[in-house]
Amino acid sequence: MPLPAQDWSQSSKELSQLLARVGLGDREAFAKLYERSSAKLFGVVLRIQRDQAAAEDILQEVFVKVWRSAAGFDAAQSQPLTWLTSVARNAAIDSLRRQQTQPQIQARHRVDDDDDAPDAVDLAADEAPGPLELLSRATEARALNHCMQDLNAMQKQSLALAFYDGLSHAEVAEKMAQPLGTVKSWVRRALLSLKNCLEHAQLRDVNAGSPAGQA
Amino acid sequence: MDYSRPPLADRLAAAYAAGTLRGPARRRYEALLPAHPALRQALHRWQARLMPLSTSVPPVIPPPVVWQRIQQQLGHLNPAPAVQRWWQGLSFWHALSGLSTAAVVGLAVLLAVPEPVQPPIVVVLESTQDVAAAGGVMSARFVASISPDGRAVVTRALQPVSLDADRALELWAVPPQGAPRSLGLIAAQGASLVQKSRVPPGTAALAVSLEPSGGSTTGAPTGPVLYVGKIGI
Repeated sequence: MPLPAQDWSQSSKELSQLLARVGLGDREAFAKLYERSSAKLFGVVLRIQRDQAAAEDILQEVFVKVWRSAAGFDAAQSQPLTWLTSVARNAAIDSLRRQQTQPQIQARHRVDDDDDAPDAVDLAADEAPGPLELLSRATEARALNHCMQDLNAMQKQSLALAFYDGLSHAEVAEKMAQPLGTVKSWVRRALLSLKNCLEHAQLRDVNAGSPAGQA
Repeated sequence: MDYSRPPLADRLAAAYAAGTLRGPARRRYEALLPAHPALRQALHRWQARLMPLSTSVPPVIPPPVVWQRIQQQLGHLNPAPAVQRWWQGLSFWHALSGLSTAAVVGLAVLLAVPEPVQPPIVVVLESTQDVAAAGGVMSARFVASISPDGRAVVTRALQPVSLDADRALELWAVPPQGAPRSLGLIAAQGASLVQKSRVPPGTAALAVSLEPSGGSTTGAPTGPVLYVGKIGI
Protein backbone atom coordinates (compact mmCIF):
# COMPACT_ATOMS: atom_id res chain seq x y z
CA MET A 1 0.00 0.00 0.00
CA PRO A 2 2.83 2.47 -0.61
CA LEU A 3 1.77 5.76 -2.07
CA PRO A 4 3.10 6.80 -5.45
CA ALA A 5 5.73 9.48 -4.99
CA GLN A 6 3.45 12.25 -6.16
CA ASP A 7 0.64 11.41 -3.76
CA TRP A 8 3.22 11.06 -1.04
CA SER A 9 4.55 14.58 -1.47
CA GLN A 10 1.10 16.03 -2.07
CA SER A 11 -0.24 14.54 1.12
CA SER A 12 2.90 15.68 2.92
CA LYS A 13 2.27 19.24 1.75
CA GLU A 14 -1.33 19.08 2.91
CA LEU A 15 -0.28 17.78 6.31
CA SER A 16 2.24 20.63 6.60
CA GLN A 17 -0.46 23.17 5.93
CA LEU A 18 -2.83 21.53 8.37
CA LEU A 19 -0.12 21.49 11.04
CA ALA A 20 0.64 25.17 10.48
CA ARG A 21 -3.03 26.00 10.95
CA VAL A 22 -3.26 23.79 14.01
CA GLY A 23 -0.29 25.69 15.43
CA LEU A 24 -2.41 28.82 15.23
CA GLY A 25 -5.34 27.28 17.05
CA ASP A 26 -7.49 26.24 14.09
CA ARG A 27 -9.79 23.47 15.31
CA GLU A 28 -11.16 22.61 11.91
CA ALA A 29 -7.63 21.93 10.69
CA PHE A 30 -7.03 19.85 13.81
CA ALA A 31 -10.08 17.70 13.03
CA LYS A 32 -8.84 17.20 9.47
CA LEU A 33 -5.38 16.35 10.69
CA TYR A 34 -6.86 13.74 13.00
CA GLU A 35 -8.93 12.32 10.18
CA ARG A 36 -5.87 12.08 7.92
CA SER A 37 -3.33 10.71 10.34
CA SER A 38 -4.98 9.01 13.30
CA ALA A 39 -5.30 5.53 11.74
CA LYS A 40 -1.68 5.59 10.64
CA LEU A 41 -0.46 6.68 14.07
CA PHE A 42 -2.77 4.30 15.90
CA GLY A 43 -1.34 1.44 13.85
CA VAL A 44 2.19 2.45 14.85
CA VAL A 45 1.25 2.83 18.53
CA LEU A 46 -0.66 -0.45 18.65
CA ARG A 47 2.38 -2.37 17.36
CA ILE A 48 4.43 -1.16 20.29
CA GLN A 49 1.76 -0.96 22.98
CA ARG A 50 -0.44 -3.98 22.38
CA ASP A 51 -2.93 -3.23 25.11
CA GLN A 52 -5.88 -1.68 23.27
CA ALA A 53 -7.03 0.60 26.10
CA ALA A 54 -3.47 1.78 26.80
CA ALA A 55 -2.92 2.38 23.08
CA GLU A 56 -6.07 4.53 22.93
CA ASP A 57 -4.80 6.59 25.86
CA ILE A 58 -1.49 7.06 24.06
CA LEU A 59 -3.19 8.20 20.86
CA GLN A 60 -5.12 10.75 22.90
CA GLU A 61 -1.90 11.93 24.53
CA VAL A 62 -0.25 12.18 21.10
CA PHE A 63 -2.94 14.40 19.59
CA VAL A 64 -3.16 16.59 22.67
CA LYS A 65 0.57 17.07 22.33
CA VAL A 66 0.25 17.77 18.61
CA TRP A 67 -2.38 20.44 19.31
CA ARG A 68 -0.15 22.09 21.89
CA SER A 69 3.14 21.89 20.08
CA ALA A 70 2.18 22.11 16.41
CA ALA A 71 3.50 25.68 16.32
CA GLY A 72 6.93 24.26 17.03
CA PHE A 73 6.77 22.02 13.99
CA ASP A 74 9.33 23.23 11.49
CA ALA A 75 8.60 22.15 7.94
CA ALA A 76 12.18 22.98 7.00
CA GLN A 77 13.46 20.44 9.55
CA SER A 78 11.15 17.47 9.12
CA GLN A 79 8.39 16.06 6.99
CA PRO A 80 5.05 16.31 8.81
CA LEU A 81 4.39 12.58 8.85
CA THR A 82 7.89 11.94 10.17
CA TRP A 83 7.26 14.39 12.99
CA LEU A 84 3.85 12.94 13.82
CA THR A 85 5.13 9.38 13.69
CA SER A 86 8.05 10.26 15.95
CA VAL A 87 5.71 11.80 18.51
CA ALA A 88 3.57 8.66 18.41
CA ARG A 89 6.52 6.25 18.62
CA ASN A 90 8.02 8.13 21.56
CA ALA A 91 4.75 8.16 23.46
CA ALA A 92 4.29 4.45 22.85
CA ILE A 93 7.84 3.63 23.96
CA ASP A 94 7.43 5.80 27.05
CA SER A 95 4.27 3.89 27.94
CA LEU A 96 6.29 0.67 28.00
CA ARG A 97 8.65 2.29 30.45
CA ARG A 98 5.76 3.10 32.76
CA GLN A 99 4.36 -0.36 32.33
CA GLN A 100 7.60 -2.00 33.43
CA THR A 101 6.99 -0.81 36.94
CA GLN A 102 3.79 -2.85 36.98
CA PRO A 103 3.65 -6.64 37.07
CA GLN A 104 3.46 -8.23 33.65
CA ILE A 105 0.33 -10.28 33.44
CA GLN A 106 0.83 -11.72 30.03
CA ALA A 107 3.42 -11.70 27.32
CA ARG A 108 2.93 -8.70 25.10
CA HIS A 109 4.41 -10.36 22.10
CA ARG A 110 3.44 -13.35 20.15
CA VAL A 111 6.03 -16.03 19.65
CA ASP A 112 6.56 -15.62 15.96
CA ASP A 113 10.26 -15.51 15.43
CA ASP A 114 11.26 -19.11 15.26
CA ASP A 115 13.57 -20.17 12.51
CA ASP A 116 10.95 -20.28 9.81
CA ALA A 117 10.98 -17.33 7.52
CA PRO A 118 7.75 -15.36 7.77
CA ASP A 119 5.45 -16.86 5.22
CA ALA A 120 1.79 -17.38 4.48
CA VAL A 121 1.27 -18.71 7.98
CA ASP A 122 2.46 -15.41 9.34
CA LEU A 123 -0.09 -13.61 7.23
CA ALA A 124 -3.30 -15.25 8.32
CA ALA A 125 -6.08 -12.81 7.50
CA ASP A 126 -6.91 -11.81 11.06
CA GLU A 127 -3.32 -11.62 12.29
CA ALA A 128 -1.07 -8.63 12.27
CA PRO A 129 2.09 -9.22 10.24
CA GLY A 130 5.22 -10.06 12.21
CA PRO A 131 7.99 -7.49 12.60
CA LEU A 132 10.28 -9.15 10.07
CA GLU A 133 7.45 -9.23 7.57
CA LEU A 134 6.89 -5.49 8.08
CA LEU A 135 10.58 -4.81 7.57
CA SER A 136 10.66 -6.72 4.33
CA ARG A 137 7.42 -5.11 3.10
CA ALA A 138 8.81 -1.67 3.86
CA THR A 139 12.06 -2.30 2.08
CA GLU A 140 10.35 -3.89 -0.90
CA ALA A 141 7.77 -1.17 -1.21
CA ARG A 142 10.37 1.57 -1.24
CA ALA A 143 12.80 -0.31 -3.44
CA LEU A 144 15.21 -0.70 -0.56
CA ASN A 145 15.92 -4.38 -1.02
CA HIS A 146 19.55 -3.78 -1.69
CA CYS A 147 19.83 -2.14 1.74
CA MET A 148 19.15 -5.50 3.28
CA GLN A 149 21.52 -7.59 1.23
CA ASP A 150 24.43 -7.25 3.60
CA LEU A 151 22.37 -8.22 6.62
CA ASN A 152 21.84 -11.73 7.85
CA ALA A 153 18.51 -12.97 9.16
CA MET A 154 19.45 -12.44 12.80
CA GLN A 155 20.47 -8.84 12.22
CA LYS A 156 17.24 -8.10 10.37
CA GLN A 157 15.19 -9.81 13.02
CA SER A 158 16.83 -7.92 15.86
CA LEU A 159 16.23 -4.56 14.19
CA ALA A 160 12.65 -5.47 13.27
CA LEU A 161 11.80 -6.51 16.84
CA ALA A 162 13.30 -3.31 18.25
CA PHE A 163 11.85 -0.92 15.70
CA TYR A 164 8.36 -2.27 15.10
CA ASP A 165 7.54 -3.85 18.43
CA GLY A 166 9.46 -1.43 20.62
CA LEU A 167 11.52 -4.12 22.32
CA SER A 168 14.59 -3.04 24.27
CA HIS A 169 17.97 -4.63 23.58
CA ALA A 170 17.46 -6.86 26.61
CA GLU A 171 14.01 -7.96 25.45
CA VAL A 172 15.27 -8.69 21.95
CA ALA A 173 18.10 -10.72 23.44
CA GLU A 174 15.69 -12.68 25.59
CA LYS A 175 13.30 -13.30 22.75
CA MET A 176 16.03 -14.42 20.39
CA ALA A 177 17.88 -16.32 23.11
CA GLN A 178 21.12 -14.55 22.30
CA PRO A 179 23.67 -12.69 24.43
CA LEU A 180 22.85 -9.03 25.03
CA GLY A 181 26.14 -7.78 23.59
CA THR A 182 25.61 -9.73 20.39
CA VAL A 183 22.11 -8.35 19.93
CA LYS A 184 23.33 -4.80 20.54
CA SER A 185 25.91 -5.11 17.82
CA TRP A 186 23.40 -6.69 15.42
CA VAL A 187 20.96 -3.82 15.84
CA ARG A 188 23.74 -1.29 15.49
CA ARG A 189 25.07 -3.04 12.41
CA ALA A 190 21.60 -3.19 10.83
CA LEU A 191 21.03 0.52 11.46
CA LEU A 192 24.36 1.47 9.93
CA SER A 193 23.74 -0.72 6.96
CA LEU A 194 20.37 0.90 6.39
CA LYS A 195 21.76 4.38 6.82
CA ASN A 196 23.02 5.00 3.33
CA CYS A 197 20.23 3.64 1.26
CA LEU A 198 17.55 5.03 3.53
CA GLU A 199 19.14 8.39 2.96
CA HIS A 200 18.84 7.85 -0.76
CA ALA A 201 15.18 6.96 -0.37
CA GLN A 202 14.66 10.12 1.62
CA LEU A 203 16.32 12.22 -1.08
CA ARG A 204 14.10 10.57 -3.63
CA ASP A 205 11.01 11.58 -1.67
CA VAL A 206 12.24 15.14 -1.29
CA ASN A 207 13.06 15.39 -4.98
CA ALA A 208 9.67 14.04 -5.88
CA GLY A 209 8.22 16.95 -3.93
CA SER A 210 10.07 19.66 -5.87
CA PRO A 211 8.65 20.91 -9.15
CA ALA A 212 11.76 19.94 -11.09
CA GLY A 213 12.04 16.58 -9.37
CA GLN A 214 11.52 13.35 -11.19
CA ALA A 215 10.01 10.29 -9.66
CA MET B 1 31.04 13.99 27.84
CA ASP B 2 30.80 16.07 24.68
CA TYR B 3 27.40 15.18 23.30
CA SER B 4 27.82 17.24 20.16
CA ARG B 5 30.74 15.09 18.98
CA PRO B 6 29.37 13.83 15.66
CA PRO B 7 29.92 10.07 16.07
CA LEU B 8 28.36 10.06 19.52
CA ALA B 9 25.48 12.32 18.47
CA ASP B 10 24.81 10.03 15.53
CA ARG B 11 24.93 6.87 17.62
CA LEU B 12 22.59 8.26 20.28
CA ALA B 13 20.18 9.57 17.66
CA ALA B 14 20.07 6.21 15.89
CA ALA B 15 19.34 4.38 19.15
CA TYR B 16 16.72 6.92 20.20
CA ALA B 17 14.93 6.89 16.85
CA ALA B 18 15.04 3.10 16.62
CA GLY B 19 13.68 2.91 20.17
CA THR B 20 16.53 0.97 21.74
CA LEU B 21 17.78 3.83 23.90
CA ARG B 22 15.80 3.17 27.05
CA GLY B 23 15.34 3.96 30.70
CA PRO B 24 17.37 6.75 32.29
CA ALA B 25 19.56 7.07 29.16
CA ARG B 26 16.49 7.89 27.07
CA ARG B 27 15.35 10.50 29.58
CA ARG B 28 18.83 12.04 29.77
CA TYR B 29 18.97 12.25 26.00
CA GLU B 30 15.57 13.96 25.86
CA ALA B 31 16.67 16.43 28.49
CA LEU B 32 19.77 17.30 26.46
CA LEU B 33 17.94 17.89 23.17
CA PRO B 34 16.62 21.42 23.74
CA ALA B 35 20.11 22.78 24.45
CA HIS B 36 22.04 20.87 21.79
CA PRO B 37 21.26 21.73 18.16
CA ALA B 38 23.76 19.15 16.92
CA LEU B 39 21.88 16.42 18.77
CA ARG B 40 18.57 17.61 17.39
CA GLN B 41 19.90 17.68 13.84
CA ALA B 42 21.30 14.18 14.16
CA LEU B 43 17.95 13.02 15.53
CA HIS B 44 15.96 14.67 12.73
CA ARG B 45 18.18 12.92 10.22
CA TRP B 46 17.65 9.51 11.80
CA GLN B 47 13.91 9.98 12.18
CA ALA B 48 13.68 10.90 8.51
CA ARG B 49 15.85 7.94 7.53
CA LEU B 50 13.78 5.42 9.47
CA MET B 51 10.44 6.88 8.37
CA PRO B 52 10.18 4.57 5.33
CA LEU B 53 10.17 1.60 7.71
CA SER B 54 6.97 2.84 9.34
CA THR B 55 5.11 2.96 6.03
CA SER B 56 4.53 -0.80 6.14
CA VAL B 57 2.68 -0.73 9.46
CA PRO B 58 -1.01 -1.34 8.67
CA PRO B 59 -3.23 1.58 9.70
CA VAL B 60 -5.81 0.86 12.39
CA ILE B 61 -8.84 3.11 12.71
CA PRO B 62 -9.15 4.16 16.35
CA PRO B 63 -12.58 3.99 18.03
CA PRO B 64 -14.53 7.29 17.83
CA VAL B 65 -14.35 7.73 21.59
CA VAL B 66 -10.66 8.67 21.30
CA TRP B 67 -11.45 11.80 19.29
CA GLN B 68 -14.15 12.73 21.78
CA ARG B 69 -11.73 12.38 24.65
CA ILE B 70 -9.15 14.50 22.89
CA GLN B 71 -11.66 17.29 22.33
CA GLN B 72 -12.83 16.98 25.89
CA GLN B 73 -9.32 17.19 27.28
CA LEU B 74 -8.58 20.27 25.18
CA GLY B 75 -11.87 21.91 26.17
CA HIS B 76 -13.09 21.97 22.58
CA LEU B 77 -16.48 20.48 23.30
CA ASN B 78 -17.92 23.36 25.35
CA PRO B 79 -20.32 25.72 23.61
CA ALA B 80 -18.29 28.64 24.99
CA PRO B 81 -14.93 27.25 23.98
CA ALA B 82 -12.05 27.45 26.36
CA VAL B 83 -8.91 27.77 24.33
CA GLN B 84 -5.48 28.20 25.75
CA ARG B 85 -3.90 31.56 25.17
CA TRP B 86 -2.56 30.42 21.91
CA TRP B 87 -0.10 33.22 21.19
CA GLN B 88 1.64 33.32 24.51
CA GLY B 89 3.33 30.00 24.19
CA LEU B 90 5.78 30.73 21.36
CA SER B 91 8.84 30.30 23.51
CA PHE B 92 7.42 27.12 24.94
CA TRP B 93 6.69 25.86 21.48
CA HIS B 94 10.26 26.40 20.45
CA ALA B 95 11.42 24.45 23.42
CA LEU B 96 8.97 21.74 22.50
CA SER B 97 10.28 21.30 19.01
CA GLY B 98 12.89 19.00 20.45
CA LEU B 99 10.05 16.70 21.46
CA SER B 100 11.02 17.06 25.08
CA THR B 101 8.61 15.08 27.13
CA ALA B 102 9.49 17.01 30.23
CA ALA B 103 8.58 20.28 28.58
CA VAL B 104 5.27 18.91 27.42
CA VAL B 105 4.38 17.78 30.88
CA GLY B 106 5.28 21.24 32.14
CA LEU B 107 3.14 22.87 29.50
CA ALA B 108 0.27 20.54 30.24
CA VAL B 109 0.37 21.69 33.83
CA LEU B 110 0.46 25.34 32.81
CA LEU B 111 -2.51 24.87 30.54
CA ALA B 112 -4.51 22.76 32.92
CA VAL B 113 -6.61 25.75 33.92
CA PRO B 114 -8.02 27.02 30.62
CA GLU B 115 -9.35 30.54 30.45
CA PRO B 116 -12.62 31.05 28.66
CA VAL B 117 -11.66 33.16 25.66
CA GLN B 118 -12.92 33.24 22.12
CA PRO B 119 -10.99 31.26 19.54
CA PRO B 120 -8.66 33.23 17.30
CA ILE B 121 -9.55 34.10 13.71
CA VAL B 122 -7.38 32.17 11.33
CA VAL B 123 -6.67 33.56 7.87
CA VAL B 124 -4.91 31.70 5.06
CA LEU B 125 -2.93 34.02 2.80
CA GLU B 126 -2.68 32.84 -0.78
CA SER B 127 0.09 33.94 -3.05
CA THR B 128 -0.90 36.40 -5.75
CA GLN B 129 0.37 36.25 -9.30
CA ASP B 130 2.77 39.06 -8.50
CA VAL B 131 4.95 36.48 -6.81
CA ALA B 132 6.28 35.23 -10.11
CA ALA B 133 6.88 38.77 -11.36
CA ALA B 134 8.80 39.66 -8.21
CA GLY B 135 11.45 37.22 -9.36
CA GLY B 136 13.21 34.80 -7.08
CA VAL B 137 10.53 34.81 -4.44
CA MET B 138 9.26 31.27 -4.00
CA SER B 139 5.56 30.63 -4.17
CA ALA B 140 4.40 30.07 -0.62
CA ARG B 141 1.49 30.74 1.62
CA PHE B 142 1.17 32.22 5.05
CA VAL B 143 -1.32 31.53 7.74
CA ALA B 144 -2.18 34.34 10.11
CA SER B 145 -4.09 34.20 13.32
CA ILE B 146 -5.72 37.23 14.90
CA SER B 147 -6.42 37.19 18.61
CA PRO B 148 -10.08 37.73 19.52
CA ASP B 149 -9.31 41.21 20.87
CA GLY B 150 -7.40 42.11 17.71
CA ARG B 151 -4.28 43.08 19.62
CA ALA B 152 -2.01 40.35 18.40
CA VAL B 153 -1.45 38.69 15.07
CA VAL B 154 0.73 35.64 14.61
CA THR B 155 1.85 34.84 11.09
CA ARG B 156 3.54 31.72 9.99
CA ALA B 157 5.20 30.92 6.69
CA LEU B 158 4.12 27.51 5.43
CA GLN B 159 7.36 27.30 3.53
CA PRO B 160 10.35 29.58 4.01
CA VAL B 161 10.26 32.51 1.58
CA SER B 162 13.59 33.45 0.06
CA LEU B 163 14.16 37.19 0.10
CA ASP B 164 17.00 39.46 -0.96
CA ALA B 165 18.84 40.87 2.04
CA ASP B 166 17.60 44.40 1.39
CA ARG B 167 13.95 43.38 1.29
CA ALA B 168 11.35 42.77 3.94
CA LEU B 169 7.80 41.51 4.16
CA GLU B 170 5.19 43.85 5.60
CA LEU B 171 1.77 42.83 6.87
CA TRP B 172 -1.25 45.04 6.13
CA ALA B 173 -4.83 45.21 7.34
CA VAL B 174 -7.02 45.92 4.34
CA PRO B 175 -10.34 47.66 5.09
CA PRO B 176 -13.38 47.12 2.82
CA GLN B 177 -12.73 50.64 1.50
CA GLY B 178 -9.77 52.95 1.83
CA ALA B 179 -6.06 52.49 2.32
CA PRO B 180 -4.42 49.48 3.98
CA ARG B 181 -2.89 50.01 7.41
CA SER B 182 0.49 48.61 8.26
CA LEU B 183 0.57 46.03 11.04
CA GLY B 184 4.35 45.66 10.96
CA LEU B 185 7.09 43.57 9.44
CA ILE B 186 6.92 39.78 9.48
CA ALA B 187 9.57 37.12 9.09
CA ALA B 188 9.97 35.26 5.80
CA GLN B 189 10.30 31.98 7.66
CA GLY B 190 8.78 30.57 10.78
CA ALA B 191 6.42 32.45 13.01
CA SER B 192 6.14 36.17 13.74
CA LEU B 193 4.19 37.82 16.49
CA VAL B 194 2.87 41.27 15.58
CA GLN B 195 1.67 43.06 18.65
CA LYS B 196 2.27 46.74 18.23
CA SER B 197 -0.87 47.61 16.33
CA ARG B 198 -4.46 46.79 16.73
CA VAL B 199 -6.16 45.18 13.78
CA PRO B 200 -8.86 47.73 12.88
CA PRO B 201 -12.40 46.41 13.39
CA GLY B 202 -14.04 45.57 10.09
CA THR B 203 -10.78 44.63 8.42
CA ALA B 204 -11.71 42.64 5.33
CA ALA B 205 -8.38 41.06 4.47
CA LEU B 206 -4.75 40.71 5.42
CA ALA B 207 -2.06 41.27 2.83
CA VAL B 208 1.70 40.92 2.68
CA SER B 209 3.76 43.22 0.49
CA LEU B 210 7.41 43.25 -0.54
CA GLU B 211 9.13 46.32 0.89
CA PRO B 212 12.61 47.70 1.38
CA SER B 213 14.23 46.41 4.56
CA GLY B 214 12.79 48.39 7.44
CA GLY B 215 9.42 48.51 5.74
CA SER B 216 7.45 51.00 3.71
CA THR B 217 8.35 54.60 4.52
CA THR B 218 5.23 56.07 2.94
CA GLY B 219 2.63 54.41 5.14
CA ALA B 220 1.24 52.55 2.17
CA PRO B 221 2.46 49.43 0.38
CA THR B 222 5.19 50.38 -2.11
CA GLY B 223 6.08 46.96 -3.44
CA PRO B 224 3.96 44.21 -4.97
CA VAL B 225 1.39 42.49 -2.79
CA LEU B 226 2.62 38.92 -2.60
CA TYR B 227 0.02 37.24 -0.40
CA VAL B 228 -3.53 38.06 0.47
CA GLY B 229 -6.21 36.39 2.55
CA LYS B 230 -9.80 37.37 3.22
CA ILE B 231 -11.14 37.47 6.75
CA GLY B 232 -14.48 35.97 7.52
CA ILE B 233 -16.61 33.28 6.08
